[in-house]
Amino acid sequence: MKPIIEVNHLTKEYQLGHITSLRDNLLNTFKRLGRKPVQQRESFKALDDVDFKIEQGEVVGIIGHSGAGKSTLLKHLAHISNPTKGKVIVRGSIAPLIEVGAGVNPEMTGRENIFLNGAILGIPKKIIQQKLDEIIEFSELEQFIDTPVKRYSSGMTVKLGFSIATSLDADILIIDEVLAVGDMAFQRKCFDKMEDMINRQGKTVLLVSHNIRQVERLCNRVILMDHGKIFAEGDPTEVCNLFFNQSNEKIKANVSTSTHKNVTQTDDMLYKKTIIYNNDNNDVDSVECLSPMRVIVHFDVLKPLKNICFLIGVHTPDFLYLTATNSIDEVKDYLPGEHQVEMAISSMTLLPGVYSIRVWIGTPEGKVSFYAENLKNFTVVSEDHLLTRQQEMGLFYLDAKWRFDAIDNAIALESA
Amino acid sequence: MIKTVKSLYTYRELIAALAWKNIIIRYKQSYLGIFWAVLKPIMLMLIFTLVRSFVGIESDDLPYPILTFAALLPWVFFQESASEGVGSVTSNAVLIKKIYFPREVFPITAMVTKLVELTISFVLLAAMMVYYKMMPSIYALWIPAIIFYTMIVALTISFFGAAINVYYRDMAQALPVFLSLLMYGSPVMYPLSLVHKKLLVEQAAGVWSNDLYRLYTLNPLAGIIDSFQRVLLKGLPPDFNALYPGLMLVLVLLPISYVFFKRAESWFADVI
Repeated sequence: MKPIIEVNHLTKEYQLGHITSLRDNLLNTFKRLGRKPVQQRESFKALDDVDFKIEQGEVVGIIGHSGAGKSTLLKHLAHISNPTKGKVIVRGSIAPLIEVGAGVNPEMTGRENIFLNGAILGIPKKIIQQKLDEIIEFSELEQFIDTPVKRYSSGMTVKLGFSIATSLDADILIIDEVLAVGDMAFQRKCFDKMEDMINRQGKTVLLVSHNIRQVERLCNRVILMDHGKIFAEGDPTEVCNLFFNQSNEKIKANVSTSTHKNVTQTDDMLYKKTIIYNNDNNDVDSVECLSPMRVIVHFDVLKPLKNICFLIGVHTPDFLYLTATNSIDEVKDYLPGEHQVEMAISSMTLLPGVYSIRVWIGTPEGKVSFYAENLKNFTVVSEDHLLTRQQEMGLFYLDAKWRFDAIDNAIALESA
Repeated sequence: MIKTVKSLYTYRELIAALAWKNIIIRYKQSYLGIFWAVLKPIMLMLIFTLVRSFVGIESDDLPYPILTFAALLPWVFFQESASEGVGSVTSNAVLIKKIYFPREVFPITAMVTKLVELTISFVLLAAMMVYYKMMPSIYALWIPAIIFYTMIVALTISFFGAAINVYYRDMAQALPVFLSLLMYGSPVMYPLSLVHKKLLVEQAAGVWSNDLYRLYTLNPLAGIIDSFQRVLLKGLPPDFNALYPGLMLVLVLLPISYVFFKRAESWFADVI
């Protein structure tokens, strides 16, 4: 059987800058007629020789950083854009769930929008009528279904959009970031619905998401795109791992250039720098998971200070405070001059990823002398594959021990 | 061509749904609702009637208000279908970027929307005919064909204009100006018989008279409006001499305009 989707050497170029004016167009035409060089605009390859096939029933995830060309690729599959070079062959009906709710009209009521969007997605009116109750029930909007959508909250609008979209019945489903919507309970529901469509109904699905865990769980093949090219393709776990490594580097590059946030500075002291030392006493940016490390903060005290304690904490690049340690039991008095404070950690139990240091200096009563977040970025790395994989499972490593015991009646069963 | 019509049949539900949406959102929060749609022909009829009381325009022995209203019906339908049609692709940019269906759905939808408004105007025209005690003759059966022809004319302009408008928004600005000029070149304010009499009978433009008349009837609206008045008010069959130059022009231009639209269509999502 022929593959349901074939993408042959697909290249898409966009011209940068504005559309040429009518005048420029005419001038260019004259120049071309007169065989004079024409002023060309810079072009940008959104897709560069992309080539793959998808078989019937496959669930393929497409991942990559923003601007890698994922959405452009989907637009070509959905026949919205046309290739500059190459060919896209789709054998079957295709249902684009690209940004659910694009067709939702604010002036119309929920019910009217169900019919309108159904028509836009190509669902026959009869089927919509049959499924109307089901759609309304799924959207959890029974009470508001005859209210204009402009009075809905944004979450409600999205719920409505997704409920309509999932009632679609096509051979190929294209899903672009739809699950990043609504409250947790609704996301769960959407996810279940999608798993149902994928596993039980055997549809061919293309899933674009930044939620890598979701992609890895749902897909049986993953394509990693980078700068308009296919960077890697194959087993979900391997490709997703590759993507994680890529993102960690990228996050670090971004974070280290970003400025400190939430800074409180007083004329008590002047913050100098934060240094991280690894086990071998080297000044580093990355530390091995489960190995010792030391954090040292340098600062200039500008006037005599009494009862000073320190708090050194760790947060993620999106400012989720993970942990903090303070020296409240060992308050110090300081005289003007340069000082440093060291916090030694016997084992770095954060799982591989990018983290940042925050520092608070002040009195136990709460008078702040200095506070800043995002002072120093570091990566936790590990050679251990199992630890790297745990990144999406959570943030901390727990030193757990397992025991496997049989209970009495199990022994009885075994011996019987 | 057959394939096109077939695919349009497939998308009939979408066209209906989009037209229904247009109607709903336009009149939803208004007290008078869809009767706003007939305001334009009514106002123009009143103005023309007022103007006529100063300048005197022949009205073929028919009450002038109903004659001009019967002219305004197809005219306003054509004018609004064409200008809405030209803007229809750009105003649906959101949909164009998100989902594919044949883009001619948009100009056609604009036209279908206006068709609903035309129906309302028809009710008013019927009321006027009752008032003036006029009975439609058997020739009134020509009406659907005339309206269909008007739709084709509007689409010819819409396809071409809508495609241009995606690249150069000047189109949507220029068209209303052009159309309001065209109104004076169409027998809206005055009957076609007046033009016929001046040019063909009195030969008012000398040797150019016959050519000028042909040029005048090259405007499809001349034939449309005249036929509309004839079959509905005068109880006469359409005047094919006035119809065919325009019809020829449209039959030549429609395929060109459609092919142009389909060619441009593939870049809509990138450019819009």
